Amino acid sequence: MLLRGAAGRGVSWRGVLTNLGRGVGVTLCALLVLVPALVAADLVRVRPLHRDGQIFVSFELTDAFSEEMRAAIRSGLPTTFSYDVELRRAIRFWFDSTVASTTVAASVQYDNLTRRYHLSRTQDGRVDTSEVVDNEETARDTMTTFDRLPLFSATPLEANSEYYLRVDARTRPHNGWFAWPWSRATASGSAKFTFIP
Amino acid sequence: MSPTVRSAKPPFGAHAGSIRPPFRDNPRLILVGIALLLAALAAMVVLAERSAELSPDFLSGAVLYAVTAADLTMLAALVFVLARNVVKLLVERRRALPFARFRAKLVAAMLGLTLIPAVLVLIVGSELIRNSADRWFSAPVDDVLSSANAVASGYYHDRQVTVSEHADRIAGSLAGVDLAAADVGAVRDLISTEVTEGRVELVQVYRVVAESDDGRADVVPVVDVATSSLPQADAPVSADRLASRVLAGSAESWTVEPLAAGGDLVRAAALVPGPDGGAPLGVVVASSHLTGDVADHSRRITQAYEAYSQLRVLQRPLQGVYLSFFLMVTLLILVSATWMGVYIAKRIMRPVHLLSDGARALEAGQLDHRIEPETADEFGSLVEAFNSMAGGLAVSQRKLERSQADLRRKNVEVEGRRRYIETILERIATGVVSIDADGTVGTVNRAASRLLGLTEAAVGRPASEVFDRADLRPMGALLDSLPAARDPSAREVALEREGKAIHVAVAATTLQRAGAGGGGTVMVFDDVTPLIRAQRVATWRDVARRLAHEIRNPLTPIQLCAERLRRHFSTAPRPARALVEECSGTIVGEVESLKALVDEFSQFARMPAPRTVPVDLHALLDDALRLYDGLFDDVRIDRAFAPQVPAVRADPEQLRRVVINLVDNAIEVLRGAATGGAVNNGNRGLVVVGTAHAAADGIVRITVADNGPGIPPGDRDKLFMPYYSTKQRGSGLGLAIVRRIIVEHGGNIEVGDNGDRGSTFTVELPCSA
Repeated sequence: MLLRGAAGRGVSWRGVLTNLGRGVGVTLCALLVLVPALVAADLVRVRPLHRDGQIFVSFELTDAFSEEMRAAIRSGLPTTFSYDVELRRAIRFWFDSTVASTTVAASVQYDNLTRRYHLSRTQDGRVDTSEVVDNEETARDTMTTFDRLPLFSATPLEANSEYYLRVDARTRPHNGWFAWPWSRATASGSAKFTFIP
Repeated sequence: MSPTVRSAKPPFGAHAGSIRPPFRDNPRLILVGIALLLAALAAMVVLAERSAELSPDFLSGAVLYAVTAADLTMLAALVFVLARNVVKLLVERRRALPFARFRAKLVAAMLGLTLIPAVLVLIVGSELIRNSADRWFSAPVDDVLSSANAVASGYYHDRQVTVSEHADRIAGSLAGVDLAAADVGAVRDLISTEVTEGRVELVQVYRVVAESDDGRADVVPVVDVATSSLPQADAPVSADRLASRVLAGSAESWTVEPLAAGGDLVRAAALVPGPDGGAPLGVVVASSHLTGDVADHSRRITQAYEAYSQLRVLQRPLQGVYLSFFLMVTLLILVSATWMGVYIAKRIMRPVHLLSDGARALEAGQLDHRIEPETADEFGSLVEAFNSMAGGLAVSQRKLERSQADLRRKNVEVEGRRRYIETILERIATGVVSIDADGTVGTVNRAASRLLGLTEAAVGRPASEVFDRADLRPMGALLDSLPAARDPSAREVALEREGKAIHVAVAATTLQRAGAGGGGTVMVFDDVTPLIRAQRVATWRDVARRLAHEIRNPLTPIQLCAERLRRHFSTAPRPARALVEECSGTIVGEVESLKALVDEFSQFARMPAPRTVPVDLHALLDDALRLYDGLFDDVRIDRAFAPQVPAVRADPEQLRRVVINLVDNAIEVLRGAATGGAVNNGNRGLVVVGTAHAAADGIVRITVADNGPGIPPGDRDKLFMPYYSTKQRGSGLGLAIVRRIIVEHGGNIEVGDNGDRGSTFTVELPCSA
């Protein structure tokens, strides 16, 4: 993983080995549920803002530009930070409902010949901005900091109800030994808010 | 290969033709599976070979996802197959099904055989990949590529800085010039110096115009100056965009534009300041041309550096791809080995299982159970041998059942015959005693018991002990002499039982067993006492007839002569006449006595054959005893008749004569004894005439008992002999006639004691059929 903070957690396999039949189920559950949850750490700071009938979302992916990530970018690899932003409502004793969702992505490709960063931002596959910068800091901010994006309409929200925004971040390319097809996110964050019209 | 049970039927509701064979019995499916497996291996080989041509990003992304997913799928398949076998093993062991452990052992053996080499190959391959990947990167290569990239990018950077400076200087020289109104020639002259002096290859001047609709400023070209060596720009639009961006305040003030003719064009833009630092009046775009060789070399350097850097960045995913290939092959081998183990186990176990079921079916008696062989291999031969064995067992079973049926039938016959013989032995008057080979008495029939006085206790006892009794010693002597005797013909043996002489004709035969020694002895004997008695009676009858004939003839002349003498001397002197009268009277009297005696002899000799009819015995007895009513005061005659006595077949007159004779004898004995004071010390004499029915023997008994002095045992057998009498008067033929009558009626007469006092005559007559 490119992100730090994906803390591992010990899993006791002794019980699995003692009962192979039960162990198969435990193994699959561990692979399908526990591993994605373990690798997703709360590294995205999210801030919601309601104004003019829109839900503005600001979020920042912290500690994303590690040395490995910088090396990957400097190698000229097209690097993408993809953010799944969900506006959700918590339901007691049941699964939370998703009110709206969108995907925001920021890509960068470093040109080693001209020493410039080619940056672009997309929302749901649609290009929003594209620019070329010389400064790495600017590139990093473009990749990790999103300020007041008008992502959702406040129309479907109920007044005085509690919602939360969840942002799951993924990075690409992958640089682990194995690719986990069912990994949900490399980093995530959420923020609750009460919708007051 | 798998055999099937011939008697097996398709499940209820299923057509036999619609049953799809299992995978293991479907060669087409097996071939398809093998083809898919080979295709997967071939795809992996091709992918591994072409991996060098694929981009590292693609390898570390899509390919890594694909191989990881394939690895997980095969791992899940392996776990599933193993878990399924373990669960089945546990279930089958709990159900105590046979061969479960064998299958588990076979699967474990197959897995073990492949697991160790596969894991070793995986480990060695992984280490090789890791070592090879580490060798991809080295410090010298790093330094060379980094330096080269720094040189190339530095060169571009320097050109960019230079061009930017030129653009700034030209823009400064045009500061305050109204480009819209200025003379184009003058502006060209102003900027031509930069071009002609070779500082830049192209200078383009734009002036700022205001758009009418939204108020935004835009640029329009005013003039451009280029060297003749500069290739014609294919896309001057890029300079226009750069000018517009710079005018819009973008930080992107320079670009590098590749040219179709080769090389790059480094462009830099600068704003033409307005008078007194006011709004810009225009934009100057200066361009410097980098020749094709420089640009190409620079790009190659950069591409090499980037490729190297990307390889370093994606080192782990790429190693993961190759490791996943190894892991995939390993898992494929393990899954295949496990499945092959299960497959082989099923292929082996199925016929073995069917044979086991068949053996149980045979054990349960289903001898028609057969297994259909489908192949001619060893299992087919085994199945054939099983079927042959089952067929042999069925034939043997049928033979055994037939033998058992025959044996049962013969046993029934033998049992019937045994019962028949036993019944005969029990019913016949001939005594039969069998003595086993070990010298013990085996059987004693009823006649033998009666004749020899043996009880059931004699059975099982040694014969020597049984026949050691005083009255049976002649039989014992005969038995002892049997081994030496060559002639098994009958012998007559006289036995004395209860004071009576019994003549028995004995025939002893040694039983011969097939192929063995003596099987015992059978003694058959008949009571020939009546026969001997009849012979004696017949002899006496012949004597009587001769005596009667010889004596009767001279009696009449003697009597006539005596009467003639008495008449002749009737006139003689008194003494002489008295003497003659006395002598002739004596002679006539004795002749009369002799005539009476001869008459009795004649009657004894000429007794007619009985003319038997069914006779009511009690009526006959009453009729006979009624003759004695009131005749004798000192003798009382009582009746002791049984309540139910069947009719007997007899000559009534002869039977009445028997009764009267016996009663007469009893009364005479009682009266004679009374005269002598021998009867009950002067008490009245008693004659009891009784009857009894022995249903088991089929006879009726008539008893005439008295309380007289009795008959000594030594005289009892002589009583029935002719001319034997204990009386002073009598011919001695009465009881002889009685016996003859009884014998000719098929009966028997015996005399015995009447308790403590007197005697009893017992007449046995067969019942009327």
